[in-house]
Amino acid sequence: MDLSGKSYKAFVERQQALQKQYSPEQAHKQHVKGKLTAWERIDLLFDKNTFEEIDAFVTPAATPVEFGKIDRKYGDGVIVGHGKINGRLVFAYSQDFTIMGGSLGLVHSRKITKVQEMALKMGAPIIGMLDSGGARIQEGVASLSGYASIFHNIIQSSGIIPQISVIMGPCAGGAVYSPALTDFVFMVNHTSYMFVTGPNVVKEVLNEDVSSEGLGGAEVHARKSGVAQMIYDDEENTILALKKFLSYMPSNNVENPPTVNDDEAIPDFNEKLRDIVPDDPNKAYDVRDIINQVADRNSFFETAELFGASLVTGFARLKGRTIGIVANQPKVLAGVLDIDSSVKGARFIRFCDAFNIPILTFEDVPGFLPGVDQEHAGIIRHGAKLLFAYSEATVPKITIILRKAYGGAFIVMNSKFLGGDFNYAWPSAEIAVMGPDGAVAILYRKELAESKNPAELKKELVKKYRDKVANPFIADESGYIDEVIDPATTRQKVISALNALSNKWVKVPARKHGNMPL
Amino acid sequence: MANDKLQKKKLYALSSENRQFSFNLPLKHSIKIGKREYDVKLKADEKLGTYILWKNRKYPVEIVKSRQNKYEILFNDISYTFTVETPFSLQRMKVLTAGKGKATTEYVKAPMPGKIIDILVREGSTVQRGEAVVILEAMKMQNEILSPANGTIVKISARPGSNVMKDDLLVEIKP
Repeated sequence: MDLSGKSYKAFVERQQALQKQYSPEQAHKQHVKGKLTAWERIDLLFDKNTFEEIDAFVTPAATPVEFGKIDRKYGDGVIVGHGKINGRLVFAYSQDFTIMGGSLGLVHSRKITKVQEMALKMGAPIIGMLDSGGARIQEGVASLSGYASIFHNIIQSSGIIPQISVIMGPCAGGAVYSPALTDFVFMVNHTSYMFVTGPNVVKEVLNEDVSSEGLGGAEVHARKSGVAQMIYDDEENTILALKKFLSYMPSNNVENPPTVNDDEAIPDFNEKLRDIVPDDPNKAYDVRDIINQVADRNSFFETAELFGASLVTGFARLKGRTIGIVANQPKVLAGVLDIDSSVKGARFIRFCDAFNIPILTFEDVPGFLPGVDQEHAGIIRHGAKLLFAYSEATVPKITIILRKAYGGAFIVMNSKFLGGDFNYAWPSAEIAVMGPDGAVAILYRKELAESKNPAELKKELVKKYRDKVANPFIADESGYIDEVIDPATTRQKVISALNALSNKWVKVPARKHGNMPL
Repeated sequence: MANDKLQKKKLYALSSENRQFSFNLPLKHSIKIGKREYDVKLKADEKLGTYILWKNRKYPVEIVKSRQNKYEILFNDISYTFTVETPFSLQRMKVLTAGKGKATTEYVKAPMPGKIIDILVREGSTVQRGEAVVILEAMKMQNEILSPANGTIVKISARPGSNVMKDDLLVEIKP
């Protein structure tokens, strides 16, 4: 096209100036820190040549009082727009640390709220790639209001479109609440950190010495605080994992998740499942081995694997359809429910419920974690979150009891009368108010005390309890579970249950919202 | 604004023992031993599953676990863990590790109150990340306590049969 005409001159010059702004020197600044540029991240995330930028030429807002320098570059430190990821429409914003440290001013925030509103209107997921020094001090209250409007939009879109944050640099102060409000947070090891107050203030106020990474690095948030669900060693792999993650998501709350072809490598009748749970109830095993033998091959994508690890959560596929998996992990802390795992499970279930993803639960739980530590930290109200989330969810809910299903934890883990649609048990299941040792100690306290050989009597009673009480057959014969199944048929049973539930519809009473024990 | 730098020409596999192997893209089914190149074929059948065919012999191979670019494979009944790196991510790793000092001693602590059943290592023995070092009985279950890092056991504070509280020190590991 001939662009030499007079009216095109300004257009071309502007275009060239924008190109020049993203120079190799600018890229180098990021690369030496082990980071990619805002554009490189966009290029990696979206299908080739599908990303359309919006508001590329905006410049920072004028400030009422001149205080500090403002770098009047195009774009105001953030790239926003839409494109296709694996062929599906997604909106995104990517902060550019090389322009005024990616700080958030009025125009910067308006660009973000613009795409947020578009994403909500179009019913498409939105991804925020954050790499920012925080609020722009020069712009004062305008910048703070900018944050407020971003937060408000996230909350308005919550449960309507999937919202995902990727932390790729600093994210400090009030800014942290933008990812905290979104559905999932990805972080990059060693080059990203999040905290409300930075190490300098911590040092000043509390005289504690801590590095940025020690205070709010990816590892800390994935393992201890539970703020980040997915962490990877570099940005490229973080983005690749995010793309895979998106393939499980529906675009919004009225659509169903996309389906893919199942390679049928996992047979519907799978004898491998018979050998995973050890006969000895004191022996642990990895529940993920069971998940991998039930779900489609290589389809399990674990979320928050380092936090509250006694409960495994993640997405998988069954015959190509997305399901959410919640499973007690006997390998970690015997699979107990503690505060972290309860909260993690509750949040995951609520995401699945909002986005039409059926929930499959694998249960092997000895109970809630006892102790002063947990009780004082509020295991009662945190455990109640999991209970609330399970019972409130209206998506199809299926439970497989693998082994232990004791006490309150049995009730919480999607039991039949809490609203579970199908509850199956393997023959190895033990369903009872408490484990054999505890039950015998309480019910036969007197007899044991008077006995000449208490150890022998206890052994006998434990055996009797295990044979007569703690088995799945009593529950089966009285309708508290639906069926005791051969482990090898698990996949087949779940598939047929999901087919039966595909038109499940629950009438929810009209109310503003329930009052979850937050 | 497509970026040619991100177009990959080479991939690297970095094993858990820090050995590095490079592969040119597009991948060719050949391996280099010394200066000679040999053809290998990746095939699958009903009996063996996936296997590598080399010099008319079959070597079964299985991906045990994969998480993004981290893989654990079983080859000839030996398990290998490695990561797949691009030139950029490899360079990044070098930049980031160069700036860091030596890793500090790892303290393995009890994750919950319980009783020590067994200690699987001795002072001076080497451990791999993810290897069980202590068996702790808690919640009537035997829990394997795993090593958080590769290293050498420098001190064992726990004794078999003793009771421990949450966060009690069990083992010290020097990387």
